[in-house]
Amino acid sequence: MSNDVAISLQDVTFTYEGEVVALRNLNLQAHQGEFVVVLGANGAGKSTLCYLISGIVPQIYGGRRGGVVSIAGIDPWDELLFVTAQKCGVLMQDPEVQLFMPTLKAELAFGPANLGVPSEEIFQRSEAALRLVRLDGLEERNPRDLSGGQKQRAALASVLTMQPQVLVLDEPTSQLDPVGRWEVGEAIEQLKRRGDLTIVMTTHETEEVLHLADQVLVLERGETVLQGTPQEVFSQAARLEEVGVKTPALVNAQMHFYSAKPGQPGGGVKIDAGASISEVAARIQSSIFTGELRIASQATPPEPAPKNESQPILEVRQLTVEYPGPPKVVALQGIDLQVDRGELVGVIGQNGSGKSTLVKCMVGLIKPRAGQVLFHGQDIRALSVGGLARRIGLVLQNPDYQLFTPSCREEVRFGLRNVGIPPDEIEALVDEALGMVGLEEEADLFPFRLSFGDRRKLAVAATIALKPEVLIMDEPTTAQDHRGRYQLAELARRFHEERGGTVVIITHDVDLIARYAQRLVVLHEGRILLDGPAAEVFAQTEELKKSFVVPPVATQLASEVLPPEAASQVMTLEDLFRFIVPT
Amino acid sequence: MQPVFRYTKLDTPIHRLHPLVKLAYVLLTLVLVMYPIRPTDMPVLLVWLGLSALLWAVARIELRRFGTLMKILVGTFIFLILIQGFTYRFGKTPLITLGHLRLWEADLGVITREGVWFGVVLSVRVLAATSSLPLFVMTTSSSEIMTALAKLRVPRTATFMIVSALSFTTLIFEMWSSILEAQKLRAFDIERMNVFKRALKAYVPIITPLILLLFRKANDFQIAMETKGFGAPVEPTEIETLTSRPADFLWLGLVVAVFVGCTVLKFA
Repeated sequence: MSNDVAISLQDVTFTYEGEVVALRNLNLQAHQGEFVVVLGANGAGKSTLCYLISGIVPQIYGGRRGGVVSIAGIDPWDELLFVTAQKCGVLMQDPEVQLFMPTLKAELAFGPANLGVPSEEIFQRSEAALRLVRLDGLEERNPRDLSGGQKQRAALASVLTMQPQVLVLDEPTSQLDPVGRWEVGEAIEQLKRRGDLTIVMTTHETEEVLHLADQVLVLERGETVLQGTPQEVFSQAARLEEVGVKTPALVNAQMHFYSAKPGQPGGGVKIDAGASISEVAARIQSSIFTGELRIASQATPPEPAPKNESQPILEVRQLTVEYPGPPKVVALQGIDLQVDRGELVGVIGQNGSGKSTLVKCMVGLIKPRAGQVLFHGQDIRALSVGGLARRIGLVLQNPDYQLFTPSCREEVRFGLRNVGIPPDEIEALVDEALGMVGLEEEADLFPFRLSFGDRRKLAVAATIALKPEVLIMDEPTTAQDHRGRYQLAELARRFHEERGGTVVIITHDVDLIARYAQRLVVLHEGRILLDGPAAEVFAQTEELKKSFVVPPVATQLASEVLPPEAASQVMTLEDLFRFIVPT
Repeated sequence: MQPVFRYTKLDTPIHRLHPLVKLAYVLLTLVLVMYPIRPTDMPVLLVWLGLSALLWAVARIELRRFGTLMKILVGTFIFLILIQGFTYRFGKTPLITLGHLRLWEADLGVITREGVWFGVVLSVRVLAATSSLPLFVMTTSSSEIMTALAKLRVPRTATFMIVSALSFTTLIFEMWSSILEAQKLRAFDIERMNVFKRALKAYVPIITPLILLLFRKANDFQIAMETKGFGAPVEPTEIETLTSRPADFLWLGLVVAVFVGCTVLKFA
């Protein structure tokens, strides 16, 4: 890291047109080669900060700014975007909108060619960027044909060919699956190792960036609530929780075991925010050895989930789905699956493993090439669209595909009218559904005025208003902050417990699903790789590797410090804390 | 869901062909179909369609794509044939008589053989006109189109607008398909509605989210382009270089020869 200041924000305030204050009195200084992680719930001002640094405000989004900004020696406020772009590159969440050329080669050349860089140099820059993101050899491929992780790496490479001194990454992994996140994370690590680029990255995935961060900034409603080294910031877990930022599980574990107890001096507290699982496990083992901690021989087992009699509500028999090419894709290959009434099932697996295809078959959106889906023993092909909608509700990933009415209330009414509910019953159902998701007060608001998390809740309300017996959520955690993820999962749990409904959740968030699902189904290349109680599935680490699924941190930690029998019961930190207790 | 007429990278003589030759074929097609039409023009149109069929075949474009084009056009064909059948003023030979309603020289109650034939000729003209552009789009990459248009001195902003629009079609198709699915989950199935119901109210729940999403995507698209220096006041570097090969001249010769042949045939 050099002493040259690459980013300097002094007392910066930014107000969007329409008088929405997005940032207040922000101060940030980052040197060349420094890695700054910006955290905060959705709406905290993270993206606005990215726009401010990269010159997108005021050049594309207008507003008023106060304070002093210097990015690689220039103030983006005074420069046209093409000038700032040569100093500061920006990578956004959605790779789809950042790739528009027909080949990767043309994509990478697009930026420098716009600036009139000689073609020989463009090729050299492109070659280096592709090598760095490990996409060399794919120059002639259409970027749209790449996988999610590859697309985001391609977008990153296309920014790097501009040779910026500052790189802004706005939640670059939020729309990717674990493999994609790992691939992009690896490329970002490479950039960090190179040491000449100042990187600002916003994220909700604290675990992924903790070891890279030199400085962490936590925002809430545009204001700095915490700022400092990862050590300083993450040792304030309670404050992070308050502002909706996930404290990494390993930090939480250390806080639990080693933070000062009431009446004890806190000076001895030592949390290593960047410690790996093995390092934390070694520390716990050492504490057990010295008698500071002990393994509870009779840990109170968690309350067993109510045992359901095996009453299949959904059955999938020999389901095969093919998508016409070119190239032809076999999305599901002879799947057999049974979901019993009252179960809460988690479905995990990589993008392309067939998860979404499977649930779309369950609601009749996709017609399989072979096999059938039975609902209460009846082939769903015999049911009308309306009939199916009232029995099986599927909430898709992006709520914006369905919202079109002028109010939230109207949005919920829409489905009810379509299925022919009498008008005098509709209002009660609308109120009940909006109440269940906590949007009663927003009932008359225009849906697009809600936050993304609330729009998702509205989509859930529109589905549960139809009183389905089965609720399926397709990746409710994607592009959601920590708080939003758990709010949606809680909704699913309430539907399951209060209404006795059957729930299927597709997600990549293993920590979340470990907390909620009784049963896990792991899909891999269109087949079921594992199916069973969550604890049993997470114990199959070798099998899980095939599908790039990593067990929850608590499970991994337990497997290193607890006897196998006890470790197999640990899926959450709370489970771990029952087994390892202070002496 | 992918747009049917999306560029597919293949190694065929048509894919390798200089984009300006393909552009010449598109322009000559437009000139040919703009000639005043007569019922006797069928041979001319069939010759040109034959050339198009040859190009489609050499480009190894799957039949399903042609099938999709036909599916899109079939409504137009039926409309043209029916309307001409009923209203063609030189129609003399009745095929079907429903009654008699004279309007100037036409009898609107009678479908005539001459009218139906003229409708068929018009349909073939529409097919000839519409089959050339998909061929160009499916066999020419966006960067080749940009370079070719730059050679024709079309401003870079205009060429990029064309190329972006082509790129955006993929997104639009994907969004359209996702919106249909999302509304179907709320028992709103446009595909099962009759034409009148569709026209009356069906498109609001589909078009509204599509427009809102497109605005947002267009905004992101603008950010992505401008943060990569698009619009900088400098002469952009030309990355793709197009070179002419003897085969290009041969194909150009063939296209021009067929065009001249058709013109002679038409006016002879």
